[in-house]
Amino acid sequence: MKEVVLECYGEACPIPLVKAQKKIEELDAGDILIVQIDHSCAMKNLPEWARKDGHNVEVDEIDDGEWEVIIEKVV
Amino acid sequence: MSEEVKSENKIKRSASSRTRTRKPKRSQIPIGIAVLLIVIAIGVLLTIKSVNLGIFWFIGIIFGFILQRSRFCFTAALRDPSLTGGTSLTKAVLLAFAITSIGFTAIKYGAFIKGLPIPGQGFIAPVSFGTVIGAFMFGIGMVIAGGCASGTLMRVGEGFTMLMITLLFFIVGSLLGAYNYGWWKLNVILKGEPIFLPDIFGWAGAIILQLLFIGVLYLAADKWEKRKNNIK
Amino acid sequence: MDLKKNEYYLTVFKNPWTYVKGAVLLSIFQIVSFAATVNPWGVSGAFAYWGAWIFELFGGNVDKWYYFSNSATLDAGFINSASSLRNVGVIFGALLATLLASQFRIKKLKSWRQVIAAMLGGLLMGYGARIASGCNIGALFSGISSLSLSGWVYALFILLGAFVGGKLLTKFFM
Repeated sequence: MKEVVLECYGEACPIPLVKAQKKIEELDAGDILIVQIDHSCAMKNLPEWARKDGHNVEVDEIDDGEWEVIIEKVV
Repeated sequence: MSEEVKSENKIKRSASSRTRTRKPKRSQIPIGIAVLLIVIAIGVLLTIKSVNLGIFWFIGIIFGFILQRSRFCFTAALRDPSLTGGTSLTKAVLLAFAITSIGFTAIKYGAFIKGLPIPGQGFIAPVSFGTVIGAFMFGIGMVIAGGCASGTLMRVGEGFTMLMITLLFFIVGSLLGAYNYGWWKLNVILKGEPIFLPDIFGWAGAIILQLLFIGVLYLAADKWEKRKNNIK
Repeated sequence: MDLKKNEYYLTVFKNPWTYVKGAVLLSIFQIVSFAATVNPWGVSGAFAYWGAWIFELFGGNVDKWYYFSNSATLDAGFINSASSLRNVGVIFGALLATLLASQFRIKKLKSWRQVIAAMLGGLLMGYGARIASGCNIGALFSGISSLSLSGWVYALFILLGAFVGGKLLTKFFM
């Protein structure tokens, strides 16, 4: 079960989302993608996309204005 | 509604991947309250000078607050359908168009039937190639810059250094546009004319047609996202 | 009382609002603003004046430019420019929102690509908004809501521009 970290601090919309969408294709079911972001839009649009695609998602606020979006690939 | 997922089965991740545990940090709320007081103070001073200025200040504060709290983004609404396949913001923007159209039309019509000058008619811009080219340029610009006009202001307030550069060059670009404006006005913009939909369809016809059109676009946006999701 | 766990604090100040809530509130205040200030919301118009005032600070002169031929706004200065104050208000409103949610963070520049994208994008927006008589707010949001056909024409072409922008973004700026 792989864990991949995508560091996206300082990236503007929609770059974290597009990078995450591309990265998750490379993973297998059960793998975990952790996207590190500091963009307020991304902490909303990343989970929204991931859930629509059927994955399990958690958002962890790890500091003021810093989040980790944890996506567990389901399919 | 909370965006945090409180699922029973939390995603299992290795302890080593936890980059850091949440630092016990002093909340920014006190700073926020200080800023709030400053904002109110500025607003009061402006209002003493001119009620109109005070209104504009507070309206700006409110718009900025709403935009940030809901992560509202016109750029995303227009860009995501082609880039990420998502249309949730597109639909939200269409909803905003619909509600605002109704409100604006009610105000305009109210003035019209009283024989008063209709407010806001300066925003009925001529339909010309200036509109076409300018909108196209703006569309490209906002996507690569990471924000549109309102989005740039919002993100400057959020501390985004990149968007501060965007704002600076937005200002420069505006000055350049103003510099060339005489040429554009004479050769392009004046070749078009302002078209106020009620002049063509009547007041009721215009608002009904517009709302119907927005409805059609809304359904299309909804379908678009579902299609994009199925192509996997 | 732990503020951070308080339901009211969480819903109003901490957790993101839904896009629908944003759309409804934005619309309500657009309408209120229209009623109170006689004109709909616009953002980019003020930027031309900001540019002119800065230009004048550096010794420039825009008196002969057609754009500024009605010099009332220019002469009155920044502090009297209602739409300028509204724009600054938007910045402060967003700042306030992030601070009260304890989510403020300075996002530093990451790469030269970001700088170039910001410069190019800003220039395109600034210039495009002038010749199209407005930006996504004044020409698109307010234009459409004002029942102006120009708003819809703007909508079509800003959409096409966003499509092209997306392609450029993924190709050069990611």
